[in-house]
Amino acid sequence: MLKGTEGIARAREIYQDRFQMGKELKAEGKTIVGYLCFYAPVEVMSALDIIPFKIFGSMKERSTKADRFLPRAFCPIIRSVLSLSLSGKYDFLDGMVMVHTCDAMERTSRIWESVASPPYVHYMDMPTKIDKMHQEALREEIDDFRKTLESFAGKELQPQKLRKAIETHNQQRHLVRRLYGHTKSAPPLISGKEIMEIIGAVSCLPVEEGNELLRKVITEVEERKKSPEKGFARILVWGSVLEAPVLIEMIENAEANVVIDDTCTGTRGYFTDINLNKNPLDALAYYCLVDLKCPRTFKEAPNNDVRKDYQADLEARFGYLKDFTREWKVDGVILQSVKYCDCHGFEVPQVKDYFDNLKIPSLYLEHDFTEQGLRALKTRVEAFLEMIRGELY
Amino acid sequence: MEKEKRRNINRLKSFYPLRAKIDETYKKSIENIKAGKPIIWAMINCWFGDPILKAMGLETIYPENYGAVCASTGIAESYLNRSDREGFPSHLCGYARNCFGYVSTMMTDLGGEVPPEAPIGGMPKPILLLSSNIGCDARYKWFQALGRYMDVPVWVLDMPVPGVKELFMDGVYDRCIKLIVNELREFVAFLERLLGVKMDWDRLAATVHDIEEMNRVWHEINELRKARPCPMHSRDFWSAMTPSLFLAGNPRESLQLYRDMFHEVKSRIDNKISGINTEEKFRLLFSELPPWHSLGIFDKLAERGWNFVIESWSYHPPQPLDLSGIADPLEHIARSAFHFKTGYFKDALGEGDYYGYTSYPMQKFAKDYQCDGAFLHQILTCRSTSNHVPYLWDRLMHKLKIPSMIVEGDIVDLRLFDASDVFKRIEPFEESMRYYKNKRKESA
Repeated sequence: MLKGTEGIARAREIYQDRFQMGKELKAEGKTIVGYLCFYAPVEVMSALDIIPFKIFGSMKERSTKADRFLPRAFCPIIRSVLSLSLSGKYDFLDGMVMVHTCDAMERTSRIWESVASPPYVHYMDMPTKIDKMHQEALREEIDDFRKTLESFAGKELQPQKLRKAIETHNQQRHLVRRLYGHTKSAPPLISGKEIMEIIGAVSCLPVEEGNELLRKVITEVEERKKSPEKGFARILVWGSVLEAPVLIEMIENAEANVVIDDTCTGTRGYFTDINLNKNPLDALAYYCLVDLKCPRTFKEAPNNDVRKDYQADLEARFGYLKDFTREWKVDGVILQSVKYCDCHGFEVPQVKDYFDNLKIPSLYLEHDFTEQGLRALKTRVEAFLEMIRGELY
Repeated sequence: MEKEKRRNINRLKSFYPLRAKIDETYKKSIENIKAGKPIIWAMINCWFGDPILKAMGLETIYPENYGAVCASTGIAESYLNRSDREGFPSHLCGYARNCFGYVSTMMTDLGGEVPPEAPIGGMPKPILLLSSNIGCDARYKWFQALGRYMDVPVWVLDMPVPGVKELFMDGVYDRCIKLIVNELREFVAFLERLLGVKMDWDRLAATVHDIEEMNRVWHEINELRKARPCPMHSRDFWSAMTPSLFLAGNPRESLQLYRDMFHEVKSRIDNKISGINTEEKFRLLFSELPPWHSLGIFDKLAERGWNFVIESWSYHPPQPLDLSGIADPLEHIARSAFHFKTGYFKDALGEGDYYGYTSYPMQKFAKDYQCDGAFLHQILTCRSTSNHVPYLWDRLMHKLKIPSMIVEGDIVDLRLFDASDVFKRIEPFEESMRYYKNKRKESA
């Protein structure tokens, strides 16, 4: 059982055995629907008393079960998730919502539905562009999801319950931001590794329970007598999903602090609230297309449609990263992506250009979503940190 | 030696003028640039944006197609290396990397001049990059990344593709069509702003009509290939597909050329003439793009009686639709392009297969064209086209008892393809095809 501990220790326990957490929730009689990416409208699920459960791959296990349906040269995260599912690890799920966030996700959704067949599956298409017309299109898609989920849950979604769910998920976003606020100091009050574990744990819990856990964690962090040691450099980590904290540990063991990130398993799902003053479905669509920061969405400088201005474009796409580097006083950036991730891969030279313009050194690392693969990058990480040390001192 | 190889496939005569449309397009683009006319670079968009460009008289070049040209002429390697030096990960689409190397050379080293080594006249700097989400993420991420080198605007055509069962929820189909029509209307307005000219709607209607007719004839040609022996080999398909797929050349002229091809194929059927010059021992389906740099393997396989009778759904035209009651040419485009992607969804849903495009139509092709086996080309840098390959292998084997041979390779990077590996596996695969042919007979 995972309920003997509290605060950070509990978060770590849940994070390290999320399958057990899922089984326990199931044993309590809860209905659980899995999702792969933060674009899934978790608020709709919570409002129907369904637990949104973020499913992860595993950087420890080989994805052999996926070989039957997916090529080896394919997103290793998705391969891993499908493999775990086919081996029964996610049997506690009552359903899945798949969102068209990238090719790998879109294609695998179709295969998943054909071969894994959980009791409930909904595929939600998502536009690439962010203008009003496409926001409306996404709103309709979310509404379709609402309809099939209502039918699965056997009850209607009450508008006030959806509003309340958005409010509760916004609270979670606020709490996560508070947590990241404690990495602004030098030394930070909490390590990058701990933050990753806490976010990983929270995304597998019913939202109120997750908020409760976050409150306890924040109290514990604020009462800390001993904080993580002050590193010589403050690092931002950018990129795709990191399921295990190997890379973060590697950086932090080399006497640097990971103070902020821009990753799918970090800040991205938490740094903007959903607008409660709008119609909830409109607000959800706006949040997904405009507010969420992920290279899967096509964004460019406004009023730029007949002539391209690269610098203005970079600013429109990555301006939030400048805010991160200033607020968290970042000395260097590690850009990381799993191999075969086109959305992040195409972005790399451009995001590197942006950090070059800010005169912040960056290093790009590509990995195969295995712990061994990440460990093999240790020398490059250490050399990069040494270079920063040389520049700082 | 070369002559002997070519004799194994009985090439159609009618493909030559269709293939020539590619060179003609590149030549025209160079002439246009010299005459001060604009050039557009576009991603293949499945007849979504191309008819509009055609109607506005814009010359379009497809960097994807140019990637294949660079691969087959051997120049691609230097562009790929350049892309690596520019910091683009080497696992990205081979066509995109070829383009990054090309554009970086053209814009950084040559001030916008076409590199002298560029094959068939090269790709002159465009005024617009027409991108789309149809097919893969690379199609918009690639053009967005070209912003590093060129101050050229990017327009993304964003097509909805619902899930197989979600398509049949109340209102979804009509909503998607409405969205596409609005999307196209915005695109036309954008082009008018960019070019300072107005759309000639009558010309658009005529162009759309020609394209629909051309695609109908092209579809019918491919239907004829169900005959035994199959009168047309995949090599002819790939050589002839560009006037439809990329709208290379004038659709009305291409329509006539496809009609000529129809007659040639029909006459072969009437005279029992095969697409290969040996006995048709095995009928094969080819999945995904061929290794452009190693097309010679098909000649050797033809010598053994392998007739490639059908190819990937992705490069075939949409199934014909009756759009006679619809006046708005944009709605014609919308319905036709959407049908291309979702036209098999109903059947797929009936069979409990949720991969309603790519994989499901391929299974249907394998049945309808009475294939004995499938050659599945797993393209390592084009995951979007070949991600379904293992799944298709599984479905073909377990649902239809049709064996497949998966061969890894690439569309551009010849280092990733090992032709000798193909030849090592031929005999056991032939055994497998014979075995399952009997199995299918037994269970029929």
